[in-house]
Amino acid sequence: MDADKRSKRFAALGLTVSVLMGALGLRLWFLQAVDAPVLELRVQANKTRTVKLLPERGRIFDREGRILADNERLLTVTLDWEAMRRTSERLELFSRLAPILDVAPGDIENRFKGGKYSPLLPMPVKEGVSEETAIYLIQRVEDFPGVDVTVEWKRQYPFAPIAAHVLGYLGAITQGDANQYLEQGYNLNERVGQFGVEKVFETYLRGTPGFVKYEVDSRGAVLDVVERRDPIPGNDLLLAIDLDFQQFAEQALETQLRLRRFGETCQARVPVLVDGKEVRDADGRRVTESAKPFVNFTNDEGVVETRVIPDCANYKSPAGSVVMMNYSNGEVLAMASYPTFDNRWFNASISSDKFAQIFPRTDDPDQSILVNRAIQGQYNLGSSFKPFVAYAALGTGQLSDQDGSGVDYRYQDKGVYEDSTFAAARSRTSGNNLIIVDGQEFTTSEYCAENRCFYRNALCSGTGKPCVYGSVNVVDALAVSSDTFFYKIGDEIFRQRGGAPVLQEEVRKFGFGSQTGIDLPYESPGRVPDSESKRKLVEAGALFEGESPTYLVGDNVQLSIGQGLLAASPIQLAVAYGALGNGGDVNRPLIALALLEPGTPNALEVGLADLSKASVAVELGTKNTIRSLNIPPDVRDPIVQGLSRVVTGPGVTSDYYHSTTGERLFRNYPYDKLPIAGKTGTAQGAANLPWNDSSVFAAFSLDPNQPIVVSAYMEKAGYGSRAAAPVVKCMFLAFMGEARMSTVLPSNPLDVTSTLAAPERKLADGRCLAGANFGGRD
Amino acid sequence: MGVPVLHRRGNAGLGNVRSSMGSPRHNIDWTLLAPVVLLSVIGVFAIYSATFWKVEGDPYWFTVRQVVYLVVAAVVMIAVMTFDYTLLRERAFFLYGCVIVSLLLVLSVGAIRGGARLSFDFRFFSFQPAEFAKPAVLLALAAYVSETRDATLDYTQFVRGMVILGIPTALVITQPDLGSAFVLIIGALCIFVMAGAKLRYLALMSMLTIMTVAAAVGAGVVDRYQLRRIEAFVNQNTTEEGLQQFVFQVRYAKRAVATGGWFGKGYLDAPLTNGKFVPVQQSDFIFSAIAEQFGMIGAGLVLGLFGLLLFRIWRVAHMSKDIFGTYICVGIFGVVAWHTFQNIGMTMGIVPVTGVPLPFVSYGGSSLVAFAIMIGLVESVHMRRMR
Repeated sequence: MDADKRSKRFAALGLTVSVLMGALGLRLWFLQAVDAPVLELRVQANKTRTVKLLPERGRIFDREGRILADNERLLTVTLDWEAMRRTSERLELFSRLAPILDVAPGDIENRFKGGKYSPLLPMPVKEGVSEETAIYLIQRVEDFPGVDVTVEWKRQYPFAPIAAHVLGYLGAITQGDANQYLEQGYNLNERVGQFGVEKVFETYLRGTPGFVKYEVDSRGAVLDVVERRDPIPGNDLLLAIDLDFQQFAEQALETQLRLRRFGETCQARVPVLVDGKEVRDADGRRVTESAKPFVNFTNDEGVVETRVIPDCANYKSPAGSVVMMNYSNGEVLAMASYPTFDNRWFNASISSDKFAQIFPRTDDPDQSILVNRAIQGQYNLGSSFKPFVAYAALGTGQLSDQDGSGVDYRYQDKGVYEDSTFAAARSRTSGNNLIIVDGQEFTTSEYCAENRCFYRNALCSGTGKPCVYGSVNVVDALAVSSDTFFYKIGDEIFRQRGGAPVLQEEVRKFGFGSQTGIDLPYESPGRVPDSESKRKLVEAGALFEGESPTYLVGDNVQLSIGQGLLAASPIQLAVAYGALGNGGDVNRPLIALALLEPGTPNALEVGLADLSKASVAVELGTKNTIRSLNIPPDVRDPIVQGLSRVVTGPGVTSDYYHSTTGERLFRNYPYDKLPIAGKTGTAQGAANLPWNDSSVFAAFSLDPNQPIVVSAYMEKAGYGSRAAAPVVKCMFLAFMGEARMSTVLPSNPLDVTSTLAAPERKLADGRCLAGANFGGRD
Repeated sequence: MGVPVLHRRGNAGLGNVRSSMGSPRHNIDWTLLAPVVLLSVIGVFAIYSATFWKVEGDPYWFTVRQVVYLVVAAVVMIAVMTFDYTLLRERAFFLYGCVIVSLLLVLSVGAIRGGARLSFDFRFFSFQPAEFAKPAVLLALAAYVSETRDATLDYTQFVRGMVILGIPTALVITQPDLGSAFVLIIGALCIFVMAGAKLRYLALMSMLTIMTVAAAVGAGVVDRYQLRRIEAFVNQNTTEEGLQQFVFQVRYAKRAVATGGWFGKGYLDAPLTNGKFVPVQQSDFIFSAIAEQFGMIGAGLVLGLFGLLLFRIWRVAHMSKDIFGTYICVGIFGVVAWHTFQNIGMTMGIVPVTGVPLPFVSYGGSSLVAFAIMIGLVESVHMRRMR
C-alpha cells in the first residue's frame, strides 16, 4: 500500500474527528458563556412554585352598619400528592384522616384515583371543615404528613334579595374582560363584581392577594417554604342606602305593581255577547261594544290581518322603580327596581339550565330582571317633565305678552291647542276652508292630514272630552297639568327663536340627557331630543318609517309635555326635582359614602357591623354639585307653588271645578309634618292605548331640614296619580314615621328549589297606598 | 541492590526473547488506558449524583450495578488484550454470524422497552446484541477489506463490504435503533475511507443510508417516537403539546450544561441534576450531570479525555504492524468518535436525540462491555505491533 496515500487518509480521519470535537468544545463554551445568564433564571423558576393566597373581599354595609355583603370562610383540608405516593402509607393516612374529617376512607381514595384534581395543587380531601378540625390537624402536622388547610371565601348576602340591584353580584371573568383582569393580576378563575357596587368598587373590595413560594422538585413535591406574604383583605364599603327605607321601597313598589294588575281601564263597558258568552280577543281581553273592531296590522308572516282591539284591558304593570334621595347632599337612601332578584343565585352553584329558568333570556323589556331600572330606564316622563319646561319658559322670558309676563302671563286653555303655523294661515284666510302655507294652497283637511294641526288636553271623565281649564297662569297650568299651556311653550320657544334648541339647553341644566355620575354601572344618559339626536335615531332606523330626519316643531311640542323622543331615568328625575327643592344645586347622587379600612368588627347584634370602630380609608360621600343653577325666586316660586298645589289643591274652575292631579290622593297627608311639592306624569305608551300608559310621580320636601326627594316610575300601570304617586306618598309617610315599616331581618337561606328570581314581597301594612282609586287624570 | 528503574537487571535486554521489549506484556499503551479508567470513574460519580434519589431506600442501586459492569468490562478487556487479534482474522466471520443470529433472535423474542426490541432480558442482567454488533461488524469488515493489499478499494469489494455492513444495519434499524445503526455505518465508513474507497462509493453509501432510513420510515418500522425526536430537534423552542416531552428533555439538559459555569454548582449541589429535572440522565444525558456539577472545567476535562483517547486510537492505527490492525483501529476510532460527538452533541442541542450512550461514562452494561472489547482490540493491536 502506498504510504503517502495512507497518511493522507489518516490525516483526513483525524481532521474530521478534531473538527467534531472542536464543535463540541465550542458549543460547550457558547452554552456556558453566552446562554447561561438567561438559562440560569429559568433554573430558578423550575425550583419554586408560587401559590396565590386570595384575600378576603371587602364587606358592604348600609349606612347603619347592617352587613349587606359578607364572606363565609371556607376551610378545605388538602393532601400533598407526594404524601400519597406510596400505597401503604396512603391507605394508612386515609384511614386515620377519615374519622377526623367524618368521611369514608373510600371517598378519599376515590378522589385520589378520580383524576379530577390538578397534580400541581394539593388534592382537596374535604371542603368546609370546621375551625376546630382545622386547628386539630394543623397542630398535629407531624402525625399527618402532607396535610394542609387552605382558606377560601364565599360571598354571602345576609339580607338578600334586598338591594340586589344596588349591591350587584359576583361572576366569572368574561372572555371580553379577561385581558384587563389579567393585567391587574387576577387569576382567570377568580370571581369578580359583575353588577352594582360589587362591580364599581371591584378593585377596592378585592384586596391584595398574597402568595406562598414553595421549593419543589421536578415532580412538584414541596420541599420547603421559601417566602410567604399574607393577603391583605379588601376595603369595606359603607353605603348611603338605609336598609329600612330600601326594604320599604321595594315592598311598596311590588305591592302597588301587583295591585295595579287588577285595575281595568274599562270597568263598566258592556261586553259583546255571542250566544250568551263574552267575546275575548287573542290576548284574552274582553271585547266591549265600544271596541275598535277593525284594526289592520301586518303579522309576523307579512300578511295583513284584521283584528279586534278591545278598548279596555288589565294593566300589565310589569316593572318599576323608586329612588329616595337626600337632595342637599345627593345621598341615595333607597333605590328599588322591579322585577328584582336574589343575588345569592349567582353563587348558588346551580346548573345553567336552572339559571336559564330563573333568569330567562327574553326580548320583552318588561320582563328583564338584571336591569336596574332606576338608572338604566329610558323613559318618557310625561307631565312630570313640565316643571323644567316651565323653568325654561320663565327663565328665557318666553312667558310674556301684552297682559303680563312671568307668573302674570295668562293663557286661555280651551282644551285644544292649534298649531301656530296652521292658526296663522287660517287667520289669513278666514271664512274660507282653503289655507295657504308657504305659498301653497290646501284644504284644511288636506293640510291637517299631512301636518299636525291640533294638540289636545287629556280627556276629562266628566265630559268625555278634552278638559277645558279656562284662563290659567303657569302655576295653574302645573297644578292641573294643562297640556295646551305647555304645547304653546313648546311651539313658540322653537319657532320664535328660529329652531334654536333653547328648551333643550335649559332642561339639560338639570342633568337630563347626561349621566348623573352615580357610582353604579351601566347608567343610561337618556336623551333630550334635538336635531342631531333625531337624525341619528332616524339613521339607526329606530323610529317609524317615514319619520322626518329633521327636528320639527311637532317634536318640540311633544317634548314640552315630556313625550316624544325624550328619554330619562328615575334617578335623573330625582336629581332634577332635588335641584328644584334645594334652590338649584344639581348634585351627583351617591350610593357609597366611604371605603373603610379592612377589618371593621361586628357588633353584638347579628348582621350588624360596629361602625363606631371603623376607620375611613377613602371618603366617597362628599357632596358633589355638578351645577349650581341659583334659580331666581321669580322663576322658582311659581314652579314650587304649582307643584305644591298638585299635592294640596286647589285646582281651577272653568266649566266646573277641576281638582289638581294629586289633590285627592294627598287629602289625608300630614302636610304640616313634612310639606312636599310634586308632579304626576302619565307617559303615553305604544299605540296610545290607555293600558300602555306608564305612571310617574316625583316629589320633594319643602322643609330644608328634611331634604328628601322621591321619584317613582311604574311601567304600563296607568295614571301617574294612581300608580306611582301612592308609592311616593308611602315613602314620605315612612320617612316621617307615619307609615309602619317592617323590621329588616336577615333572610332565610336561598330556596334553591324555587323557580322565581326573588320571592314575592308585600307591604306589611298597605294603607299608605290608599286614596288613589277615584278621580285623577294625568 | 538498587532501585530497579535505575539499575537494569543483568539478564534484562534483548538477550531474553520471552521478556524482550517486543513482548506484548511490555507494550500495553497505558496512555490509552488512562482516559478510559478516568472516564469510568467520573461516570460512576456522575451516575450516583443523577440516581441516588431514584430507588426508594437504596441510593446506590444504579451505582453499584455500574461498578459491577465495570469489573466485568475490565475482565473482558484484559481477555481481549491477551488474545492475539491476528487470530481473529479467520474467526471474524464466525463472530459476525453469531451477532446476526442474536440480532434476529432479539427481533423475535427480545424484551420490548419503549416500543423497541433491543435486548434479551436475563434474570440479573439484560443484553443488547446491537452493542456487540459494533466490534463484530468492524472485525468482519476489517478482515474482508484487508484480504487485498491494494491502495484502493475496487467496486466488487465495496459492494461486498456494503453487504457485510448492510445485513446487521438493517436488522438494527428494524429494532428500531437508528442511533446504533448510524454508529455501524460511521465505523464502516472510516474503514472504507482508509481502504481507499472512491468518493462516488461514499456518496452511494450515503444515498443508500438515506434511502434505507426513508424506506424504514415509510414502512412504519421506525415509529413516530423516533421521528418526533427529530421534529423536536428542529423546533427546540416549540410549545406544541405533543413535542413537549421530547423538547423538555433536551431543554433541561442544555440548561444544566449552561448553568454549570466555570467550576460547576458542586457535587450533589446542582439544582437540575439533583432536583431530578433531566429524565434518564444516568444514561443518555450523563454529560449534563457532569457539566452542571463540575462546570466548564469538568466538562472540558471529559472532552479532553475523549480527545486523548481518540488520539491514542488513531495513533495505534498508524502504528499497526498490519493493515488488518489498522482497519480495526480506524473502525473503532470512528465508532468512539461518533458516540462521543452524538451523545454530547444531543445533550447540548446541536444534534437530534438518539439513544446513544457516552462511552465508559453512561450507565449501562452492554455498551460498557462492547467498548471494553473495542479498547481491548486496540490495545491488542498496539501490544503486538512489534511482532
